Amino acid sequence: MNFEQFQNQSRLYVIGALEPEELEQFEKARKKFGKKAEDFITKCYALHEAFALSLRPAKSSAAIKERLMAMVKAKKES
Amino acid sequence: MVSSVRGKPKRRVRLPRARTQPISVAPKLEPGAPSDFELMKGIQTGDADALSELYDRYNGILKALILRVIHNEAEADDLLQEIFMEIWNQAKNFSAQKGKPLGWMVTLARRRAIDGLRKKQAYARAEERLQNETEQQPDAWVHNATEQEILLSDTRLLIRKVISGLPPAQQQAIDLAFFRGMSQREIAAKTNTPLGTVKTRLELGLKKIYDGLKDLRDEL
Repeated sequence: MNFEQFQNQSRLYVIGALEPEELEQFEKARKKFGKKAEDFITKCYALHEAFALSLRPAKSSAAIKERLMAMVKAKKES
Repeated sequence: MVSSVRGKPKRRVRLPRARTQPISVAPKLEPGAPSDFELMKGIQTGDADALSELYDRYNGILKALILRVIHNEAEADDLLQEIFMEIWNQAKNFSAQKGKPLGWMVTLARRRAIDGLRKKQAYARAEERLQNETEQQPDAWVHNATEQEILLSDTRLLIRKVISGLPPAQQQAIDLAFFRGMSQREIAAKTNTPLGTVKTRLELGLKKIYDGLKDLRDEL
């Protein structure tokens, strides 16, 4: 696998779309390319952000935040 | 992201050549507001106010993502609360070297939402709802915009412009993989498309979006 093929596979990897047999090859290439590979995979996670940011934000009930903060407070005090 | 693959004109956006600078698609913050990294540092030291601020900043985006996967308002609210609790509990595992806080949170939220969907074995029901919602209201949820959302809306429009420039079949393949957690084989079976074609659609579509994001960085 050359680095361009690795880049294509990385974009599939970060969205969990590699098939098991591809994953094995991908991990081998990941080791082969080392830091360069890790840096590229990190950049690919921007795709996650982009897909989420492409959605119109949804409204949540105020009670959710109240419950969350109460749970956090209880956890801190325990 | 992709509300429907039917009836859209095949408009292609000319995408720029890949550049070397890191990609950033995060929305703009108001002057003086703490960065996401600063908030994460605060959470790592047990500052509940930092979590509160991070919640205010991103609960809408994360809920939209969860809703896009599970299509159930009450379950999405419960999951949202669990996810922010996980952010609080797992903050020590976040490393700025591995990426940005929003990316980390989205990855976490997506995984939890897809796990939830699978556990319930509700694919069929969700699909029916998705179909109805897509026909009735393409954008899932509409309400009065807050200041934070107005800042986000520019980002959203720019990202959607990149995504909508893809051929519909590529949009559909990416949508099924990202928001439904489907494997290439599952997408091939669902869309009655050869596996190799699905792989090509995903590769081409993701590359175009990835390259498009590099261009967005300069506009944001």
